[in-house]
Formats: sequence, C-alpha cells, structure tokens
Amino acid sequence: MNWRNVILIFQREVLDQLRDRRTLFMVAVLPILLYPLLGIGMVQMTVLFSEQPRSVVILGAADLPALPLVEGRRFASRWFHSSADADKLRVVTDLDDTATTLPPESKEQNAADEQMLANAKQICERIRERRKIETDLDAARAQRQPAETATLETALQNLNTRLTSLFDRSGIQVLIYIPADFARNLAQRQKELAERDVATTVQFDYARPVILQNSADEKSVIAHRRVHDVLQAWERSILKSQLHESQLPETLTEPVMPAEIDLAEQEQVSANVWSKMFPALLVIMALTGAFYPAVDLCAGEKERGTMETLLICPATRTEIVLGKFLTVFVFSASTALLNLLSVGMTGKYMASLAMGGVSSRLGDLALPPVSALIWVIVILLPLATLFSALCLAIATFAKSSKEGQYYLTPLLMVTLGLTMFCLSPATEMQPFYSVMPVIGPGLLLKGLLKANGPGTEMYLYAIPVLLTSIGYSLLALWWAIEQFGSEEVLFREAERFDLRLWIKHLLRDKEPVPTFSEAGFCFLLIMLLQFVSWKSFQTAIQNTAQEDQGLFQIRLLIIQQIALIATPALMMGVILTTSLRRTFSLRWPGFRRLLLAALLPFTLHPLTTELVVSLQWFFPPPPPGMAELMKHLKNANVLLVILAFAVTPAICEEIAFRGFLLAGFRRLGRVGVAVILSSCAFGIIHMIPHQVFNATLLGFVLGAMCVRNRSLFPGIVFHFGYNLLGILHDRFGKFVPTGSAWNFFFRWEDDALRYQPALLCLLSLLCIGLLNRLLQPASIPDLQDTNAPAVDESLPHSDRFQASALHG
Amino acid sequence: MAYWDVGRFDSSLPLMKSSMITVHRLTKRFADLRTGAFTALDRVSFEVQPGEILGLLGPNGAGKTTCLRILSTVLKPTSGSAIVAGYDVATHPEEVRARIGFLSNNTGIYDRMTAGEMVEHFGRLYGIPEAALQERISLLFERLQITKFRDVLGSKMSTGMRQKVSIARTIIHDPPVLIFDEPTSGLDVLVARKVIDEVKTLQDQGKCIIYSTHIMREVEKLCHRIAIIYRGQILAIGSVQELADQYSEPDMEELFFKLIDRHEEGLAANLVS
Repeated sequence: MNWRNVILIFQREVLDQLRDRRTLFMVAVLPILLYPLLGIGMVQMTVLFSEQPRSVVILGAADLPALPLVEGRRFASRWFHSSADADKLRVVTDLDDTATTLPPESKEQNAADEQMLANAKQICERIRERRKIETDLDAARAQRQPAETATLETALQNLNTRLTSLFDRSGIQVLIYIPADFARNLAQRQKELAERDVATTVQFDYARPVILQNSADEKSVIAHRRVHDVLQAWERSILKSQLHESQLPETLTEPVMPAEIDLAEQEQVSANVWSKMFPALLVIMALTGAFYPAVDLCAGEKERGTMETLLICPATRTEIVLGKFLTVFVFSASTALLNLLSVGMTGKYMASLAMGGVSSRLGDLALPPVSALIWVIVILLPLATLFSALCLAIATFAKSSKEGQYYLTPLLMVTLGLTMFCLSPATEMQPFYSVMPVIGPGLLLKGLLKANGPGTEMYLYAIPVLLTSIGYSLLALWWAIEQFGSEEVLFREAERFDLRLWIKHLLRDKEPVPTFSEAGFCFLLIMLLQFVSWKSFQTAIQNTAQEDQGLFQIRLLIIQQIALIATPALMMGVILTTSLRRTFSLRWPGFRRLLLAALLPFTLHPLTTELVVSLQWFFPPPPPGMAELMKHLKNANVLLVILAFAVTPAICEEIAFRGFLLAGFRRLGRVGVAVILSSCAFGIIHMIPHQVFNATLLGFVLGAMCVRNRSLFPGIVFHFGYNLLGILHDRFGKFVPTGSAWNFFFRWEDDALRYQPALLCLLSLLCIGLLNRLLQPASIPDLQDTNAPAVDESLPHSDRFQASALHG
Repeated sequence: MAYWDVGRFDSSLPLMKSSMITVHRLTKRFADLRTGAFTALDRVSFEVQPGEILGLLGPNGAGKTTCLRILSTVLKPTSGSAIVAGYDVATHPEEVRARIGFLSNNTGIYDRMTAGEMVEHFGRLYGIPEAALQERISLLFERLQITKFRDVLGSKMSTGMRQKVSIARTIIHDPPVLIFDEPTSGLDVLVARKVIDEVKTLQDQGKCIIYSTHIMREVEKLCHRIAIIYRGQILAIGSVQELADQYSEPDMEELFFKLIDRHEEGLAANLVS
C-alpha cells in the first residue's frame, strides 16, 4: 500500500468535487442557505398566515340563557383562552334583531347567512325526524319486531346519509341547536337548587342543546374543537353562578384540582429538542453527503470516460478506492457538520426572535454543551465511514450517475426507516441496539444529548457502539474494494436487460452448482415467502379454537419448514443446477463421521444453552407469542414436537442453508466468507434476536462441517440431535437429578435445568476433541473428488464454448 | 527506461529478454446473456521488440481493445500469459502499469482539471520527482503545442486538444512500452498528422509500440509489422512485405478482405461438418 498514491488521488478527487457545482450545492450551499431561508420563510408565513373564520350557526338563539354566549357575530371573547381566537369563529344566529343591532355587513354576506340559516333549519328538521325514528326503533327493538326494526334501520341509515350530504353542502362547520325553553329550564333548575327543596324532584331531565359537526372534515374538526372549548368555559361559568346562588362553594365541582409544576429548565427543554433533532439530522445528512460525491466519483467517472485512465495509472485498485473513499468521507462528514451547525444557529436565532409566540415556551434554544458536541463528532466519524463505504460500493456498480441514484435510493429509504425508529420516544438504548448499525449511533447520540444529562451507562454503551460501527464500516469498505476489483462491475456493458433472454441464459448455461447471486436470490425468496405467509398463518391460527391452537401451530411449523424453506431451495437446485449431488453435498460421509456428528450435540447443546442464558441481558425480550408457543410445546404430544422442532428443521434447513446457499456462496472463492454468509442467513431467518445469535453460532459449526465433510448428512444428524436435546431439556429437564453428588454437574434454577461449570469445562474439552475429528478434511479417496470439480470449474466455459462453436 | 530513475527500475527488473512484449496464447472470455460465453480473444500470440511498432489491424469488435486492455492490466486474461517489460500482467500489474503508456478512446481526460493539472497529477502518480516532472511537462507541452492552452479546463477543450493532453499523459513517465488504441479516431487531419508524427518520434527513441487501428494507410505508413486480428484470432502476422509475399497480394486493403473472407469460409465449412 502506497499512501502517497492514496493521498494524491484523494487530493485530486477533492479538487474535482470542489469544482463540481452540483456537489458544492448539496454539500455547502444548501445547508448554509437552506435553513436560514426556511427560517425566514417560517417567519413570513406566521406573519402572513391568517386563519379563515369558520361558520357556526346557532338555531334557537332566543332560548339561550342570560349569560351571554354570543356577542354580535362571534362568541364572547371571555370564553376563549386567547381573546384573539374569537375572530376565528363566525357565529350566525336566528335572532330577528340581528340585522338591526349588528354593524352592517355586505349584502352578499347577509344573503349567504340567510342561506346558511335556511340550510340549518332544514338540517334541524332532519334531526327531529331522526330522533323520532330512533325512538321508534328503540320501541321496535324492545318489542322484538324484526321486520319493523329492519325497515326503521334502513330508514335511519338513509336519513343519516342525507343528513351528512346536507351538512356538507350547507357551508356550516358547526351547527348548534338550542331546544325551546332551554333558558327557562335552566333558570328553573337553578331556582329549585337554590331553594334546595329536596322533596320536589328536581327536573334535571330537560332537553339539551345539540351540536353537529363532521369529524371527517378538517375545517369542521377545528371549528368544533374551538366551539367545544367555548361551550365548556361557558358551562363552567353557568355552573359557578348556580353554585353561588345555591350558597355552595364554587370549587365544589373540582374536589381534586391538583397544582401542576413543570420542573423542566430552559436548557433541558432545548436539550430535548436537540436530542431529537441532532441524531436524525446527523444520520440523514451523513448519508446525503456521501451519496452525491460517491455517485460522481464512481458512476460519474465511468460516464465521463476517465475510469480507465485512472485504472492504468500505477496506483493499485485498493489505493484508488481508499483515495475515493477518503474523499466521500470528507464530504459526508462536512455535510453533516455544516447542516448541524446551520440548523443549530438558525434554530437558536429563530427562537430568540419568536419571544412571546408559541415557541417562546421552548425558551432560548441554547446549543448543547461542548462535551455533547464533541460526542456528535465522535459518532459522526464511524457513521460517515459506513455510509461513504456503502455508497462507494453501490455507486461502483452503477454505469451512470442516473443509475447510481436509482441504486442508492433504497439505501436512503432503509436509513430513513432506521432513523425514524431511533426518533421514537419509546426506543431507548439497550445492549442489542448498541451493536446494530445506524440504530446504535443514533440512540447513543440521543442518550448523550438528553435533557437530564447522559447516565454513566451511556458512556459504557459508547464502547460497543463505536467498535461495531468501525467493524461495519470496515466491512463496507472491504466490499467497496471488492466491487472495484471486479471486471464485471467496472466494465459492465449497458446492455438492454431482456427477461426472456436472461431466463433462457439461466436455463441454458446451467452449472453444476448455483452461482453466488442465485444463492442470494434463494435466501431473499425464503425471507419473502416467510414474510408473505406470516399474515395468513396468523389469521389461520386466530381462526382455530383456543384449545387447538398449540397443535395447529406445531403443524403449521412443519408445513412452513417444508414449503417455505426446503422447497424453494430444492426447486432452484433442480431448475438452475446440473448436479444436485454437488449442490446439496449429497455424499455418504461414512458411519464414523455420522456417529461423531451425533455425539457433538451432547457437548455443544449445554454450552450454547448456558451461553445464551448468560447473554440474556443483551437481547430484547422475546415477543409474547413465543412464550405462548413454548407453553403449548410442553403440553403437546412429544413425538409431534420432535417431528416439528427436530426432524423437519434438521432436514429442511440443512437443504436450504448448507445445501443451496452454501454451495452458491462458495463460488465467491473464499470458503470462510461463504460459511459466515450462510450462517448469517441461517441466523436471520430465525427472527427472534437470541435465536438469531444461537443459530448463527450453530451455522458456523454446521457450515464448517458441511465444507470439511463435503456432505450434508453429518449436519442433518447434528442439527437433529441438537434440537432434540433442546426439546428434552425443556420437557424432561426436571427428571435430571440435581441432588447431592449430581449437584456437581446440574442444578435447578428459574424453572430450568442448568449446567454447572465443572460439567461445562468437561464438555468443552470433549466438544473441541469432537470438532477436531469432525472438521478434518475428508479422507484421501475423496480428495480426488474435490480436485476434480475444482479443475472442472475453470474448464467448463471453454469446453462448452468450443463444443458449441463446432456444433453450431 | 525513464531517464530520472534508471537505477530504481533496473534494480527491480528481472532478466530482460530481447522482446519488450511477449503474448502467449492469450484468451479472454466474457459471460454473455445472448450466447452464453463470448470469446473476445482466442489464443493470441505475438512479440514486439524495442524500437518496433506492431500494428493491430482489425474491424470493430475484433478483440483489439480487449487484447490491449489485458496488456494494460485493466482486464485479467482467462488463460494464456502476457509479459510486458519483463513482468507478467497477471501477477505484477503495478510493475507493468508503471512501464507502459496507454492511450485509447476510453482513457479520457478529466473535465474539471486543466491540461497542466492533469498531466502533473499523473506524473506524480508515476512517482516522478517534482523538479524532473516540471521540466518534463514543459518539454512535452512545448513539443505537443499544449503550452498555450495549459490552463484551460478539460471540459472546454476541443477533441484535438484533449487528444494532445492524453498523449502528454501517456508519455509523461517516458515508458519503454507504449500502446495506442485508435489514437486518431475522431481527429481532424492536422491533429491526426501530429499524433502520427509523435508516434514516429517515440519509435525513434527506441520505444516498443503497439498501434491498433482500422485505418490501412496509418498501418502502412507507421508499422514495421502488422497483425491482422479478426473474431479474437490473429489471422496473419508479419511485415507489409512479408504479408504481401506470403499471400501474393501487394495491396494491404485487398489482403485484409481476403483474409477475413477466408476465415469466414473456414468457419462456415466447420459449421457444416
């Protein structure tokens, strides 16, 4: 590695990018100008923004009690929190003297009001009709007259429909109907209350006002919320005066009325704002900042025809990628920082401007302390590294800038999803999240910027977050370098993609074992099938009777394994490969190896069980459905459970993951990477985090076993044994003696059989011994077998080609 | 050998054979959706000596560019070997790249760099000491008449200007091996003439040159030997005189068509049988 070359390329690319108007715009101009402009825009909007007054019609206004609800054409301003709100509702009443007492308004307005009143009256007619039907309906129901009930129900429904359309067309947002004699009834009640004549039954049962609104209509909802508040204030006032006159304390109706104290200090309020905004902005801007330069540096370079110029210079591909990567990284990091800075400054300035407005409650949005800002930078570095490397790898694949942008959009979507997840107030840092890409850094930053200061545990979380982030970044960078080294990627022809031709090619140019992409596709297919079937399985489970659910779920599991895991892999194997024997490693490994594979679970199962238990703190709790299933497991027929949880998975999962997938992944040329990939795929399919972990671990063992024995069968035997032991452990663990001397090996804890350290040490030794035997490459006569396909793999192209050239 | 660091190159050089480029049964296959595998280069062998220009003559898609891309280590051969300036392209690509100058239609110049910056950048990548580099650049720019547009951005240059800068980029490190892939395509006669003169100058300096083209006149004028390449195979190789004698056809163009026709006939006969 010649760092001088890396630096030379880096310098050139930075200069190149700085001369590119598009990149400069995205990276520097946009953040510096966008947020202040948005700020100005917001100020402008608040100045210019005026809410259209909404129309409220009151029918029967003459019957309103003396306490004035309405003043002229609006509600009395004393019923509003902020008196300015009174202008936002325009009240039209059916009082005769409206015209005389109110300031004259335009003729059209009056005409419109007249129209509205007419509409309101019509609506009220319908309401009365509706009430009558409702009474009849109740009566019919009470007398159990089904025919009558049905007719009335239809009539009611029709009426409702008509009422809705009538209301929608009326131009009224809220309609208040005051029943006749309402004021008189109210006064009567007050009088009776004041006299406190308990003997006379107080007539509380008078007709109440009716309020009509349409909650599907935004305007109506807003108006209704205001009207509701007004009427509540008004009602409270009426109540108070009633209490007063009855010589009761005015606070009678508020026996609790707690005093509320908000302890949030101003810095904390602002810290809260920043702790939400900064992580999201950091993640998204680090990605955006990497996105455009990466496309320009790779796809753009191909497009402009300078890629080959670069490739023929003495720098190695790794040096070129590193130079480009550093460039993308610098732009990603500076975009993110510039954006944060600009947002911070604008936010602070805006908040100080808007004193007295709503945002004054946010206080002066003081920027977070310097220590927090340093954390921002510390976290930004691995994030920018990850995104830069990912964008670079993807952009290398694209042939043109436009294509690059298409490929990068999914990355943006996924990142946005993860960011949204981090932003949710319910999501807090926990061990499992700390090792997830993007989520870890996002949550860490959120925790560090939090109002009440970061807890010590946050600083501890920084270690796994940073370590894993660096790990992911290095992986992504490695991928980018691999991509850049691949001829197919660099010199991809912009050939027209023809599905028919492609399928023909797949079927015609079959190879003995699947290709890497076929294996990858198989995995995606399995995932997709699981996802699609999930819903229908859930519905099916819910549709079965409660007591049968357990059994049903177990059966479903068998079907799922066969139909959704084994079948896709087998089908793809049959259709796309020429040698099922090699694809699925169908080779007799000999009894000795099968026996070793059968013994291995006895040593490995206790070890992994203890490992997972000891790591329980790390994983988020399993979903509730899981516990349910476990309960069923303990009660179901043991043979059925073994069939569902040991036999079927051992066969189906091995066929898919150690068969088709591993064979395809091995085409990468690196057996280790292939085993890791297939284990990760095997883990991911298990969904529940601690099972994912366990399955991935086992995947390593299973993958290595398959590769070394060149046979699927030891894996199947081991897989069966391992799962069987799991079932036996859950079910019959309680029969294992834990008393006296046995206590040296076993103990009973938390309703489960646990293994003592002494036993575990012994088992580890045995396990290493067994693995050592099992993972020895298969013996000499088979060795020729391995060599043969290796030679064959380099040859088939030429042979086939020559054959086809000769025969036509 | 570059004049500024003869020592460095020499110390790392393995035993030099007389030929600068040795290509032996070089084969390259690509995956192709339509036909399965596509053989772009089929067991091609040739040698080029220092001070010699080998002309690669062939129609579009004959495999010229693929062959030259393998020699420049941008592509890896499927089988066969190619030794350039004493190094195998498959095992020592960096050493090979440091010793060749490569110019093709696909080696464009940077739009957002000036002629001076562009050549300077590549000179540094080749590890030329700064003082020597500046001296070399002014020498080359003078010779290629670039000096007057030295500070013009690539995007503002005409095709001819770009090609001149490309040539300067190709020979900035004074490599012993030069590969030109259709260097005159798309150029006006004046610039094309200039390019051909430059190639001649380089040959006079004792460089080993491969010159690929589909223009007969250039080949006749420039090349010591000609390799006629068609469908990934070399149909004939030799000097103009040798070829004319061997196929008793003094006219190069006629000879070219004759060879291709014969090859097609051979293929057709093969298919029938």
